[in-house]
Amino acid sequence: MKLRSVLAIKCAKCTSYLIKKLNRGSGVTLPGYVARLVDPHILSVMVGMVKEKTIVTMGTNGKTTTNSILYHALEAEGKKVIINRTGANMLNGIISAFVLAADKHCRLDADYACIEVDEIASVNVLPQLKPDCALLTNISRDQLDRFGEVDITFNKLKTAVTSVPDTKLIINCDDVLSYTLASESGNTFVTYGISEQIFDDISRSEIRESIFCRSCEKKLEYDFFHYGQLGIYHCPNCGLKRPEPDFTAADISLEDELYTFSMDGMLIHSTARTPYNIYNTLSAYAALNALEADLAHFQDMIESFDYGNNRESIFSINSARVQLHLAKNPIGFQQKISLVLKDEKPKDIIIQINDTYQDGEDISWLWDVDFQYLADAEAATITTAGTRKFDMGLRLKYEDISCDNTTDLRSTIIERTKRGTGNLYVIVNYSGLYSTNYMLTELEKTQKGGEEA
Amino acid sequence: MKLTIGHLYPDLLNLYGDRGNIQCFRKRLEWRGMEAEVIPFLSGDTIDFSQLDIILLGGGSDREQELVCGHLKSIQQDFKNYVEDGGVVLAVCGGYQLLGKYYKTDKKMIEGLSILDITTEWQPERLIRNIVLDSPLFDTPVVGFENHGGRTYIGSHTPFGKVFYGLGNTGKSGYEGVLYKNVIGTYLHGPLLPKNPQVCDYLLERALKRKYGDNIVLEPLKDELEHLANGYIAGRYSDKKYILKETIKRHI
Repeated sequence: MKLRSVLAIKCAKCTSYLIKKLNRGSGVTLPGYVARLVDPHILSVMVGMVKEKTIVTMGTNGKTTTNSILYHALEAEGKKVIINRTGANMLNGIISAFVLAADKHCRLDADYACIEVDEIASVNVLPQLKPDCALLTNISRDQLDRFGEVDITFNKLKTAVTSVPDTKLIINCDDVLSYTLASESGNTFVTYGISEQIFDDISRSEIRESIFCRSCEKKLEYDFFHYGQLGIYHCPNCGLKRPEPDFTAADISLEDELYTFSMDGMLIHSTARTPYNIYNTLSAYAALNALEADLAHFQDMIESFDYGNNRESIFSINSARVQLHLAKNPIGFQQKISLVLKDEKPKDIIIQINDTYQDGEDISWLWDVDFQYLADAEAATITTAGTRKFDMGLRLKYEDISCDNTTDLRSTIIERTKRGTGNLYVIVNYSGLYSTNYMLTELEKTQKGGEEA
Repeated sequence: MKLTIGHLYPDLLNLYGDRGNIQCFRKRLEWRGMEAEVIPFLSGDTIDFSQLDIILLGGGSDREQELVCGHLKSIQQDFKNYVEDGGVVLAVCGGYQLLGKYYKTDKKMIEGLSILDITTEWQPERLIRNIVLDSPLFDTPVVGFENHGGRTYIGSHTPFGKVFYGLGNTGKSGYEGVLYKNVIGTYLHGPLLPKNPQVCDYLLERALKRKYGDNIVLEPLKDELEHLANGYIAGRYSDKKYILKETIKRHI
């Protein structure tokens, strides 16, 4: 290794140490920045030390869960795996993941690297990582104030994958955008998809990206939609159609809130409570096959896998059941509403919407969510919180759903757990996730027995 | 009383929560005991403009706008007559650009409806942020979010408002949108109407007067939440410290 790279790693480690010592946050991006300042080629150097293979996961929804399945599947086979932390999916965060995993001799002891990559960052990251495989979950609207338009996201991803022509793609062929991207890229690709209708009416967001054929511009016809523009499509004009997927999940059934399905000869009794986690499992499985990884322990691993990932955590506070959910874009929020409606018990709901840069400063996406279904959600109370609580309130008002708002999330949660229905849903967007998760964890610890006011 | 609202090409132009504008028209009529009928016209449908009281033309991506362009040719004359006859139109983002003569992107020239003497040219740097306007039509500020690559030159037309915070038509002119007869063209989404009920009521009143005569007056509604949402953004960008903080963040 060049001295420069050694120096870069040492500097990054010092930075990380200092951040932690000074209690300045978790320090997941700055060390990467420092390493890159010292050695601009550090990422290529680091990834070169990975013994077997590298895979990146990209796409609008499901990145973190899918990447986590890949990580656990490879670990279950006894492999050493590098993974970047949730949210640290831009260039600096990814470099941090690698350099901080190096030992004191600045060597990396890893068989695999599973890296989640932000769509915009992908253009810079992929040429440096030159991954063996790239998994694309789906493409839909997300943070339009960052991405501009879905077509811009599409073009960024396409530029990224065409810059690494030897990378094999794993794509969701139910998504016409992903499939078109793969077909146009020239990279080799394998597909996964689901041919059964598993999403109910409520979760089937009607907000669709481009259901117009990208080669001949005619409107596509669908046998049915999964959600958004995902479904079984064909173009009546030029013959483009959803291909028969290489990997699929079938015989999907829901028992006691959990999904069971068959995949590649296995009958999987999963812990998935939502249909999109079947997609995530399927995509990860397709990717592991593309990586030619061992799969002997896959079924055991996935049947005890925690899809929650801190994103869907359940707490018990003042003997009330409190669920924390992340919803950060229209498709994601629609799935949460479907989940809320599956629970027939009376409930209280708190929705926190912030508009920091991380969340997306533009909150117009709230109007792309079908909130009218909440009228039938048996909600005793709905409370809005966060910097854009009034916008969220307006969204509900224009569906004739009444709600109140709060500036003090903590006391509202305490109040609801004590005098509410005993069944509380807290739905937050990105910037509120960690603080709310922390708050609920702490409340669960200290509020047992309700000794605090 | 009843108004018919035509939502043009929601299959192509549906980018920034335009449904919120439709929903706002509908609910604010219903809450006053009036009827609202919303007709979505998909690309390729024939449109009878004589049955419409309000037209909404929403935002789409550059690619989808190009697809819309083909359909516009067939309705150009009818649309123009509707506007000249005092028909109410709300055109947002892409829809606003399409009211003009053309939208020149980096690769193509997209022909518009030529209803207004305005033109739009694409630049690589998109204008993206919250925006607050002072409009001579209203006492309260108009707030929203802008996100556009196009710079729109409105020539001698009247702008919709003066930019109090944000970028507006060209990022430099200090003005946003366009007003012509009963047409409002604007880059503001967010969506525009729920947070700006004064704009919604203005358009509703214009449409009702055109249909039922000049003595129609809209009853005011209790708009507490609307004013809080509007006031939050207007207040935030009246705070110099906040603006400074946001500007610094934007540049690091």
